[in-house]
Amino acid sequence: MSPLSRLFSPFVSAVAACRARWLATPAALLLFSAAVSAQEVTKRWGPTEPVSTYGHRFDSLFNLITLLISVSFFIVLILLLVPVIRDRAKPGKRASFDHGNSLHDKRFTAIVSVIVFIVLDALVLVIAMRDLREGFWNDPLPNDPEVVRVEVLGQQWSWNFRLAGTDGEFGTPDDIITINELTIPVDRPIDMNLTSKDVIHSFFLPDMRVKRDANPGAVNEMWFESMATGSFAILCAELCGFAHYQMHGEVHVLSEADYDAWEAEASRLALLGYDENDAEAQWAWAWQE
Amino acid sequence: MTRQTLLSTCLLLSLAGLTQATAWPAYQDDDEHATAAVEHPPHTRAPGEIDVSITADDWVRAPGEDWFETMAEQFPDRFSYSEEAAEYTDEDGVGEGDFEGGWIDAKGEYVFRYDIEEDEFAYWQKISAKRLTSGRTLFVQYCASCHGFTGDGYGRSAQHLRPPPRSFHQSNFKFTHVIAGNLPSDDALTELILNGLDGTPMYPWALQDNQVRDIVQYIKTLSPPERGWRDVYAEIADVVDIGEDPFANDPAAGAERGAEVYHLRGCYNCHPGYLSPDEIAGIAGNPPRDDFTYPKIVPDSGYEVLGYAVSILPPDFTWHTIRRGKTASDIAHTVAAGIGGAGMPQWKGSISDEEIWAMGHYVRSLIDDYHGQPAKRAAFMATLRN
Repeated sequence: MSPLSRLFSPFVSAVAACRARWLATPAALLLFSAAVSAQEVTKRWGPTEPVSTYGHRFDSLFNLITLLISVSFFIVLILLLVPVIRDRAKPGKRASFDHGNSLHDKRFTAIVSVIVFIVLDALVLVIAMRDLREGFWNDPLPNDPEVVRVEVLGQQWSWNFRLAGTDGEFGTPDDIITINELTIPVDRPIDMNLTSKDVIHSFFLPDMRVKRDANPGAVNEMWFESMATGSFAILCAELCGFAHYQMHGEVHVLSEADYDAWEAEASRLALLGYDENDAEAQWAWAWQE
Repeated sequence: MTRQTLLSTCLLLSLAGLTQATAWPAYQDDDEHATAAVEHPPHTRAPGEIDVSITADDWVRAPGEDWFETMAEQFPDRFSYSEEAAEYTDEDGVGEGDFEGGWIDAKGEYVFRYDIEEDEFAYWQKISAKRLTSGRTLFVQYCASCHGFTGDGYGRSAQHLRPPPRSFHQSNFKFTHVIAGNLPSDDALTELILNGLDGTPMYPWALQDNQVRDIVQYIKTLSPPERGWRDVYAEIADVVDIGEDPFANDPAAGAERGAEVYHLRGCYNCHPGYLSPDEIAGIAGNPPRDDFTYPKIVPDSGYEVLGYAVSILPPDFTWHTIRRGKTASDIAHTVAAGIGGAGMPQWKGSISDEEIWAMGHYVRSLIDDYHGQPAKRAAFMATLRN
């Protein structure tokens, strides 16, 4: 008997000793229905398809974690249930007390802990850091002309957006200001500066798999790139007051041609509506990379 | 760490917390006399210097003469005609004298009477302190972040916001569908709060009916003395009456007629025109202004920020989101009532109701056809700009 098999002998014997055959059919049925309903639930209430370039990383990591913890959950469940059923009260059997303090038990615990740490924590950490490095932290270059820059100002209970307009500079009369509606082009990196007027908000684009806090007095950054055109939800992911639940908007992702036409026209209309005496309406800040 | 060190640390921390708690500005509810004085940090705007206080018995203007009769029909248990209503006097002595009776409600909240000395009807609404306290709590929770604790439109989240939030000291509302210059009735205000103003942070507020009613009553008390709902002679009006929709069965015909009315009545002088210059000249008799496919900015005295009347771009219906335009009826009512404080005049009386309805259908068709579709809109506007 090799050392490894000796180590796992309690587990193997526990499974083998389970003679409760009558349990097999209901357990299988339960597992099957759980799997089916999980699929149904995911289809109906689960996350939408990821739209941004790095959205699939988020989903694959999420699925991996779900799979790993489900497997460990069932292993622990079996380890708990088998002795409970096998060693339940029977006539003529006396309970014996064991502190389980032998060297073998200690070694078993230590090695299982290390394995669980490597399989669950370390694996997830390594993948997460790789995804962050190649995705969310992989900011677009500062002077890239492809990048669309957006200043996001949260407030109770709305999102204010400011695009630089055709001249590409913030704080000029042709800045496009919208409330709760963000229009961006497809297949171009969107770089965002976020802050808040009043309390902490969190700018959340569930379809893009991206979320960042907007704090008063500080400017946070985030970026994403949409791979599909369409309208997607904007939410606030930080409880920010009584009407937090209705602090939502829409992001409209347009094709490149549509966006260019939209930007030119919106810029022109912003210029027409610009009131130079109304100093209070000019809230742009210097762009922070 | 010994137990003593731990204990003394806890004690110190709780002491510090207590000091913080007592230093907090007091705007908790006070049933008898709740002043809404809040210390503003230096970077926010100073509130208007109007003392807003609620007393236990606050008097504001009632919704209107017919309102009591209507309520009496709906709630016969609550409202009754009473000779004794005449004997009611308030502490300021307003309306003292001989009366010929009036309506009174079982809770003592509403009194309506005829004042022989002044020779006019006096409709007073007595709001219970309980209702005002509830209204004030809800106002602080939902409204004050933008409209300010004193209702002056200078809340912290109001900074930089265009259009700026309404100042309730003005007692002027833009989209209640009540003829500009009149105070809106309770129903009109409630409907506004429940519908919201599209394209602004004024959401359709999903509150319970009684919550909205409490907020409406509290908003009325924010009027400065002798103004708005505290003005004895102010008119309280209901939603403007423009009859039944003549184009209910055929909106397309309404839109077609509306296109003619829109350009005949010169709407394109501020809003954009949506026909070619030749067609407009054919309808209106003279060619449109230069650059007529873009709106023209107008100063708007309805919104003041620090004494400065902000300018507003009249909406281009194919581009901007208009504040109340979900249905042709909404638009027709806005056209009929006008927008108080802004450049939009009252059209009810100037043109026929049929023309007003036609314009509602026309504007709605413009929104349906082009709003939110930049490419289609650009192609359409390009045909006009050549």
